[in-house]
Amino acid sequence: MQTINKNYFQLFSIPEIYQLDIGLLGENYRGMQVEMHPDRFVNAPEEEKMRSVQRSSALNQAYDTLKDPLKRAGYMLELQGLNVEQVSQHDLGIDLLMEQMNLRESLDKLPKNESALNALNRLKKEVLEKLNSREESFSNMFMDSELATAKKIFHEMQFLQKLLIEINQGEEQRLGY
Amino acid sequence: MALLQISEPGSKPEKPLHRLAVGIDLGTTNSLVAASRTSVVETLADDSGSHLLPSVVHYSAELEPLVGQRALDKLAIDPANTIISAKRMLGKNLLDIQADRDTNKATTFLYQFNRDNSDSIPQILTVAGLKSPVQISADILGTLSSRAESVLGGKLEGVVITVPAYFNDAQRQQTKEAANMVGLNVLRLLNEPTAAAVAYGLDTNDQGKIIIFDLGGGTFDVSLLSLQRGVFEVLSTGGDTNLGGDDFDRVIMDWICAEAGLGEITDSKLFARLRNAAIAAKHSLTDMDVVEINCENWQGVFNRTKFIELSADLVNRTINTCRRVIRDASVSVDEIDNIVLVGGATRMPVIQEAVAEFFGKRALTEIDPDKVVAIGAGIQADVLIGNKSAKDFLLLDVNPLSLGIETMGELVEKIIPRNTTIPVARAQEFTTFKDNQTVMSLHVVQGERELVSDCRSLARFELREIPPMVAGAAKIRVSFQVDADGLLSVSAEELSTGIIAEIQVKPSFGLSADAIEEMLQSSQENAKSDMEVRSKGEARLEAQQLIEAIASAIEVDGGLLNEKESLLIKTAIEELRRAKTEGGSVEIRDLTEELNRVSGNFAARRMNLHIGTALRGESIDVIESSSD
Repeated sequence: MQTINKNYFQLFSIPEIYQLDIGLLGENYRGMQVEMHPDRFVNAPEEEKMRSVQRSSALNQAYDTLKDPLKRAGYMLELQGLNVEQVSQHDLGIDLLMEQMNLRESLDKLPKNESALNALNRLKKEVLEKLNSREESFSNMFMDSELATAKKIFHEMQFLQKLLIEINQGEEQRLGY
Repeated sequence: MALLQISEPGSKPEKPLHRLAVGIDLGTTNSLVAASRTSVVETLADDSGSHLLPSVVHYSAELEPLVGQRALDKLAIDPANTIISAKRMLGKNLLDIQADRDTNKATTFLYQFNRDNSDSIPQILTVAGLKSPVQISADILGTLSSRAESVLGGKLEGVVITVPAYFNDAQRQQTKEAANMVGLNVLRLLNEPTAAAVAYGLDTNDQGKIIIFDLGGGTFDVSLLSLQRGVFEVLSTGGDTNLGGDDFDRVIMDWICAEAGLGEITDSKLFARLRNAAIAAKHSLTDMDVVEINCENWQGVFNRTKFIELSADLVNRTINTCRRVIRDASVSVDEIDNIVLVGGATRMPVIQEAVAEFFGKRALTEIDPDKVVAIGAGIQADVLIGNKSAKDFLLLDVNPLSLGIETMGELVEKIIPRNTTIPVARAQEFTTFKDNQTVMSLHVVQGERELVSDCRSLARFELREIPPMVAGAAKIRVSFQVDADGLLSVSAEELSTGIIAEIQVKPSFGLSADAIEEMLQSSQENAKSDMEVRSKGEARLEAQQLIEAIASAIEVDGGLLNEKESLLIKTAIEELRRAKTEGGSVEIRDLTEELNRVSGNFAARRMNLHIGTALRGESIDVIESSSD
């Protein structure tokens, strides 16, 4: 099997679109792991064992990237030759920054005990809705080859994702994990 | 079908020969061995018909060690030479074990340890000599493999040994070492919860999401798995390596002590009698509401309500872990299709009720919770050795703890986050901190915390001969590879020259018997001055690194220092420079320590300054873009 020259979509034989069929992705991933996992090479020569570890790791890496909406978006931009590590000011509109500040403020001013749990939950829903709508716009922009706009949306998703992680951590702290 | 299977590369035996392979559940309290004798996998019994082998070893001066029930019988008479719960000591050093004792009373061990090596592998003083947890585990594994070979009538070609999902690298390594010590070929280390799912999954052909709730004698694990068409995917795991059935015994023991006015227990024989009384009471409460306890001329009545009250904290800890594991996989409680109970301690009604209440459904208990892990391991052994069709099922396991590298300011940079499917390879680029830095020391750690000191140190190694460049220009790619057993190897490469340093992570106390012997021999052969030379070299290097780091820090942030501070630091640097050329390793180390001390505040201030700048990064963007 050739893995080197294929991108992750080709690797799993799925169409190269953002709104992909997660079920199909998982099915193909598992089907390929059944063939390549080190468990299949326990009695094989050392060299084949090593190769199986490498291939299986590569499959995991590819699946991990594609199944996550944010990582998938970044990966698709990279495939188009964009450097997503670099964020220029044009990538971040004032509206996004205002929105972020408002969301952050509402997160920061919540009480630090269990009484904040309901509010956190509402905030989480709000952020998730925003993320969903961004994912849709990303998909549209990407299909229309509006890559600069798609990149901008990607960075917005990064902000929202970060906020989501902080909301989750806030929840965990208040639940006493 | 058969033709297709034969043409499958690397996965099928050439001949349909039945090869002997077993699954071993090496438990804290009890161990089992399972194998397929006909078409089903079942646990194997000893001559007297018992399946469970108590994980207890008794050492005596003249005789071979006793393992199992016969060893357990010696516990009350000869506790100092009867080793229980050795699994709890695997992968730890004496200091770890003492720390456990402080935080968790159930790990109180009543053994004499060899005190000469408190930072390496613990050794218990017995009448038969020093015994390490690896040796004790090996004795248990040896007994199980002999049992299997006599029942199955042949030599074992491979074993699958189960470990708690939460076992760290050191604990996994030592489990493997124990097996190697008795000549076993380890096909795979399998996480216990995964094994349990395999046992159920294959019987019922389940689809969906499964929680494995595994409360063993000494460890607690929760795993969330998804099963689709024979492929098990571990979505998340969590647990507590210091929570188990023993802790429930302990709360009953404490209650008896308090009620009977016994005070602190220091006599090991009394401890053993109390423990037996507590265990008996706990078992009785499985079927009864009230039990009478007679112990040390004291009589009392213990009931289920009291037990629920005493164990509430412990039960809460288990449920909290479930909550966390479900969160980690971004799944909600009502999406869970099945709950599998594993471990004898899950027979306790307090646990079953708490689980049913939290998940809103009762757990599966068709397979004996004591045997389910061994049966799953036996099935996996059968598949791996090639007896079963490879297409039947596949396990996709995860690494239970995050793996990372120490960076500036003793912070941890995670390279592989926990719950990543294994095998996995990840790389990250790092750069040099000082101008003309030619050596980079890498510190590999395991754990979830931000600070290095809160994580477990796995290994340290160095990448040398980095070409001299300005700070931040060198590109060093650090690659982590975790194999299917969950074991880690790390390599570092300087990208412009291709210079590589590699290490197979094996903590110093996890060295194999051969390696330890080799080290002992070479240290005896080498003259003492060699050690001093090496130690001095290392001390010099450390001193030089510190001097350079502080010098370049002063260049950038010297303004943070007042005159007195600046003088103190400069004097300390001069002193250290002198010692570096003239002094011995001890003096160099002392003065390095001194320079560290006087510059500590400066370092802290710089950290604050730079963290502050980093945090403000976003708002700086705000201002600049709004003025566009």
